[in-house]
Amino acid sequence: MIDERILDIFKGAIKKSEADQTEFACESEEFYLTRFAENTIHQNMGRSDSTIWCRAIVGKKIGVARSNEATADGVRDLLKVALNIAINGREDPQFGSLVKSSRAPKSTGFHEQTFVYPASARAGDVARVIDKAKAAKLLSAGTYQTSATALGVVNSLGTEQFDKTTDFRFTLTAASSAGRSGWSQAAGKDIGTIDIMENARRALDKAAFVGEPAKLESGQYTVILEPDAVANFLLLLAFLGFGGKTLQQGRSFMTDKIGQSIMGNNITISEDPFHPMMQYLPFDYEGIPRQKVVIVENGLAREGVYDSYHAGLSGKASTGNALAPDNNYGPYPKAMVLNMGSSTVDDMIKSTSSGVYITRFWYLNYLNPMKTMVTGYTRDGSFLIEDGRITRPVVDMRVQQSMLEAFSNAELLSNEMRLIPQYATLMLVPFMKINNFNLTVA
Amino acid sequence: MAEIEKIAQSAIDKALDLGASYADCRIVEIRGESLSYADGVPEGISSLVDSGLGVRVIADGAWGFFGSSLVNKKEAERAARMAVDIALASASLNKSPLEISPLQSYNDSYISKFKIDPFTIPLAQKLEYLAHQDNLMSQNGQVNSRGSSLDFRKLTSFFASNIGSKIHQAIIQSGVGIELGIKKSRREQFLRGFPQNGGQFECKGYELLDEFDFAGEIPRLSEEAIALSTAADCPAITANVVLEGSVVGLVIHELVGHPLELDRVFGSERNFSGTSFATTDQLDKLQYGSPLVNFASDATHPYGLGSFGYDDEGVKSHKVDLIKNGLLTGYLSSRETAALIERPSSGAMRADGWGNIPLVRMTNTNIIPGDKSLDDLIAMAADGIYMSTISSWSPSDDRSSFEFGCEIAWEIKGGKLGQVYKNPTFSGRTTDFWNSVLAIGNEQTFRVWGTPNCGKGQPGQNARTGQGACPILVGNLKVGGA
Repeated sequence: MIDERILDIFKGAIKKSEADQTEFACESEEFYLTRFAENTIHQNMGRSDSTIWCRAIVGKKIGVARSNEATADGVRDLLKVALNIAINGREDPQFGSLVKSSRAPKSTGFHEQTFVYPASARAGDVARVIDKAKAAKLLSAGTYQTSATALGVVNSLGTEQFDKTTDFRFTLTAASSAGRSGWSQAAGKDIGTIDIMENARRALDKAAFVGEPAKLESGQYTVILEPDAVANFLLLLAFLGFGGKTLQQGRSFMTDKIGQSIMGNNITISEDPFHPMMQYLPFDYEGIPRQKVVIVENGLAREGVYDSYHAGLSGKASTGNALAPDNNYGPYPKAMVLNMGSSTVDDMIKSTSSGVYITRFWYLNYLNPMKTMVTGYTRDGSFLIEDGRITRPVVDMRVQQSMLEAFSNAELLSNEMRLIPQYATLMLVPFMKINNFNLTVA
Repeated sequence: MAEIEKIAQSAIDKALDLGASYADCRIVEIRGESLSYADGVPEGISSLVDSGLGVRVIADGAWGFFGSSLVNKKEAERAARMAVDIALASASLNKSPLEISPLQSYNDSYISKFKIDPFTIPLAQKLEYLAHQDNLMSQNGQVNSRGSSLDFRKLTSFFASNIGSKIHQAIIQSGVGIELGIKKSRREQFLRGFPQNGGQFECKGYELLDEFDFAGEIPRLSEEAIALSTAADCPAITANVVLEGSVVGLVIHELVGHPLELDRVFGSERNFSGTSFATTDQLDKLQYGSPLVNFASDATHPYGLGSFGYDDEGVKSHKVDLIKNGLLTGYLSSRETAALIERPSSGAMRADGWGNIPLVRMTNTNIIPGDKSLDDLIAMAADGIYMSTISSWSPSDDRSSFEFGCEIAWEIKGGKLGQVYKNPTFSGRTTDFWNSVLAIGNEQTFRVWGTPNCGKGQPGQNARTGQGACPILVGNLKVGGA
């Protein structure tokens, strides 16, 4: 994995650059993953890689090049490619400038014991989970991964950033011969904090739940969503509307709604990379320090997240949410917190006379983005709630629901939160009790 | 021996020295170029080179894999050591050693078919092409959202294994597409994509761009987007439905390709992509579709996005029947999964670059054409719905049910197209759907539609797949409007 010396290589190349402005970023990763299914390890891998991006600016022409040769020669060659693209490219009249940023505060997210956790230890942990599954006559499938990531950014205006972080993630799907399944996951920075068996228990208990699954009719139900399901919705909402590009282009459901109510007044959503559970890298791919951004406050639309380009178009300052420079999606929140409430999960269930408990959703996709309408399935642990008790499993159903309506109908939020990683985004979210939720027969 | 052959051999030798019973090494370089325009502005012009090596071993009866972006002898041997260590860790848990189907060795080279290497075309010419597309879309004053893109990729790889295979491959792929639309208000947009949503990708060179009549299609697409802006929602009915070819392409991907991946059938994807309803006890028994329906996996197709000479464990590409006369007859498989059903591998093991372990992936999953023109299908439908251009897809995790959305639909009345509908969807059960196929388009309607972003596996891997498709007529299909 790269260390801070990569910044010197970048600075050396920038000194010789013929571009008006030049930026380099390098993301380096050591990644290990043990994958198991049917109570056996079937894939087990490691990978070492370093990706470099160069952005060369000539006038208002921008060239971007990417490679994974993190050497002085590789950096020099990459600059040539980016410069050639810029020289031969076309002007983007909307481009302003790269940004000079001061050094970001150091991350607290690097944990040595996560970095050095060996394959044999991962296998040992997985073996304990598999033994537990076998004892319960269940099949287990899951992943156990550790990774270390370093990010370095330098630009010709004087920005210099470097930091590193570690991550772990454990996921488990337990399945019974009766066709029932359960899911759980755990994620964090310090592998010493994981309680593998407690996480495993959650999935195993769901798969082992006794009772004939109920086949429900299509209709509106009161549902209690586990944090994974809440995060499934939050991720898609963020993609549709929290980024500065979607706001600037008028595609966001928050466009023209800033200061207005868009969801229930018990919902506050923030980009909070410095939350103790997040310990996110403290700057983005432009080297701009990340910051806390309140996106939705008590149900009112407040603000999106920005990179320097879209901030410039919108008359705002970047919030440190740039993705890698060869990405056209625009700025995106990477460390979201949806505030917790005051209910225990038990109270949420006890207060429900009739409803459905949902562990997670599967394959959510937009049916009508303007209405934030999505379709998908419930998966890996759906249960009937009757008279304040979980009574039996439910045959999985199709979800056809406006996400904004769901977050407007959230009656209760739990006082317990879980960290949920999905598609390179971290979300810290509670359980949510939602009324009038649309489920149909699959 | 070329330098990369020596490097790969050093990894294999090291793995065998350390006790591996099987070892292979892939050295891969991917070169890419991506260009896009949005509303008259160059949105992203970028270049990519990604290279590295991956060493895969079996030690003590278990798999291990390690990939590194550094391609040299020392790093190859380190990767081999790491792969063996990882395999031994797996073996400490696994009680039954894995078996792989037998395979002959190959010493061969494969170069995909293309006429014009897109990497020889100057950047300025490509940008001029996009600017021209943008200008064509701007001719209709009501069109106020425009996007166009080009994507080129060259994959160069070398595969070697301890059974003696040495395989060099070079594969060129190109992609082109546009999307135009009407932003009626801040929250109402009506978009039309061409040749399909996200563009068309094929195993061809720059000549692909000349195969589509953008100048002729853009006025039609513009009128369709305008019509959508005042159209009614698609009615919620059960009807005869004609699906345009690219729609059928993605339906094949989700409801034939994925369910017939044998690793998925055996539970390897239970934790992520899901399982499959098409279990092996139903092989040669399950009436997957109507007798009209035939599918084959065919990596030998000359231009499919899933075409190659050899898969990523050295199996030579070949055609495999999946469904014959509606009956389930085969699977997409690897050497390991094929051994479990005592068949040879279908040659479908593919890895995303050098840094990932190969998985069972689609190659080109192709329907066998029928004998109807699109007009014939619409006439046969009599009264029903015609849908074009996928916009949304959502299959269940065992692929037994689904819901898809399309950009546009038309009423079919008296065998002719009528009014336009917006937000059309169709849903149902997979085997019900294929068993309700009443007619299939002919050879002239066949095209292998490319999917450049198929996700599977943990860590997530992207694959580029092809789906050979024709328009089809499906009876008794549930449709609706989102």
